[in-house]
Amino acid sequence: MKRYDLLTPEGTRDLLFDECVALRMVEEKLRNMFLSYGYTEVVTPGLEFFDVFSLKSRYFAQESMYKLTDGKGRLMVLRPDSTMPIARLVGTRLRDETFPLKLFYNQSIYRANPKNSGRDDEFSQSGIEIIGGDVAHADIEALSIAIEVMQSLEADDFRFEIGDSAFFNLISSKLDLSEDELSEIRILVQNKNYPGLKSLLEKFGDSVYAKTLIQLPSLFGGSEVFERAEKVLPDDDTRFVLEKLKTLYNNLTALGVQDKITVDLGLVSKTENYYTGVVFMGYVEGYGMPVLTGGRYDKLIRDFGVDVPATGFAVNLNAAAATVMRKAKEPLAKRPDVLVYADETDIVKGIRHLRDIISKGYTADFADFKCVEDARENARKRGILRLDIVTSDGFTTENL
Amino acid sequence: MSESKNLRIALTKGRLEKDTVGLFEKIGFDVSQLKDKGRKLILSVPGQNIEVVLAKAADVITYVEHGACDIGVVGKDTILEYGGKYFEIADLGFGRCKFALAVKKGTDFYSGYGVKTVATKYTNVTRNFFEHKKMDVDIVKIEGSVELAPLLGIADGIVDIVETGTTLKENGLEVFEDVVPISARLIVNTVSMKLKKDAIDNLVEKMVEALEKGEN
Repeated sequence: MKRYDLLTPEGTRDLLFDECVALRMVEEKLRNMFLSYGYTEVVTPGLEFFDVFSLKSRYFAQESMYKLTDGKGRLMVLRPDSTMPIARLVGTRLRDETFPLKLFYNQSIYRANPKNSGRDDEFSQSGIEIIGGDVAHADIEALSIAIEVMQSLEADDFRFEIGDSAFFNLISSKLDLSEDELSEIRILVQNKNYPGLKSLLEKFGDSVYAKTLIQLPSLFGGSEVFERAEKVLPDDDTRFVLEKLKTLYNNLTALGVQDKITVDLGLVSKTENYYTGVVFMGYVEGYGMPVLTGGRYDKLIRDFGVDVPATGFAVNLNAAAATVMRKAKEPLAKRPDVLVYADETDIVKGIRHLRDIISKGYTADFADFKCVEDARENARKRGILRLDIVTSDGFTTENL
Repeated sequence: MSESKNLRIALTKGRLEKDTVGLFEKIGFDVSQLKDKGRKLILSVPGQNIEVVLAKAADVITYVEHGACDIGVVGKDTILEYGGKYFEIADLGFGRCKFALAVKKGTDFYSGYGVKTVATKYTNVTRNFFEHKKMDVDIVKIEGSVELAPLLGIADGIVDIVETGTTLKENGLEVFEDVVPISARLIVNTVSMKLKKDAIDNLVEKMVEALEKGEN
């Protein structure tokens, strides 16, 4: 039988040294940011019932989830997303809390990707959720924090993109489409597949809504998009959404980083289709997929029994850590300041000295060697600059 | 925005590569390096900030999806078989052919109650086609000449790319049903589309213009 005891499953990885330090650095940075904005951390189980993610709206394709069964034969999944568990939490234990609720999380996500795709099946995600509250206030708050996250990654270049899924939802609802057609069109819009959209919508002939839908994915770019869209959008409902988006855009640009913010009216989220309003994404130079995704999901929590609007975003921490790694000029994993050596007879004194210098703010490593020569050799190899040799009557310091 | 960045384009080696280079030539690009490439796999278009990578069809998708290349030229056949996340922004019109279901001449693929066996190189395309019809079939993957399978009796039909139908005819097969038309597509990495919008818009506009000129 073939054994796999020396391998990690496809899409997973061991994080070592710098990779691990970089991940913890971004985690720490985001945690502090979210805490300073008054958010409270929640942790949800890694294992959830399949049903949480397979509501009638079927937000997650079943083949994208890792499944297993519990002792009673019930179907479980490894959490493919954090927002839906939080929606479940709001619908149950938090239903009587004072809204708006401001929550954040930092946990691993599991997605079953097609084999050989080179994607992470397990990755860390950190994000915020604003449950309840006034839409305009919550939207600008979530977006401004998201932009701050993008800035904090210190990438060479980044773009922050906003859109509103109401455009797609309003326009497509005016066409007589079957469920299958609708999901196909959603994918075509996501993929900016103009030829595909054209041929699928051909049957609607001169319908102004079909024509708008074909143009929707091309309405992206800078502030000029608003002018172009005004000429294209077919009715007051969609023009009202445009007005709101424009206000949001202007408010965001007033907060700075104007040249980094772009608009895409064809923005429909890739994997999660629970978004109902403003949606946004963050991209960094050198990473082929969005680092940050978010949006408004006003109907999701209703599926869990509480009718409350909400918005939020998630940051792919592994992607963010990769950006930090690329920028780092020196190794991120720090060597200890001091190596402490003691002969076996003075081993207790050695440990005392170790504790003593650590309490003074140094990082120190206890040399697990029989003789001082080996300790010195070890310090040299690892680039540790100071060796403290502890003896029965004190200690001597060697600078290496 | 800094738009001076290089665009890296992946071309599917072979016919699509030739057609794309022809299109570049029509635009007025210096394609001397692309035509006289020797064994090089990464080539440049002088004066255009464009780098051309030559790859196998499925790899074009991989490079674009992961952002190693910004743009790719690849057949719809490969897109349908391999899927992936990228923008598919234009139909370049060349490389036209189709996927078709072919059977031994004169047979009716849908007759009888037995579960049919279909031989193909394109298992995903075939599975999707029959799933769409809500029809269970057994799919056998064949790497080489798929036409052999029905002749040797291991399959009732094949799903394959058909251009002229000559190969089918010479082997006593015929198209039973068209599956989907195929042509070359321009695909773009989702992040590049945003970060290098001006450069990409500019190039795509030129390509589409040159295509339209060619049609008239």
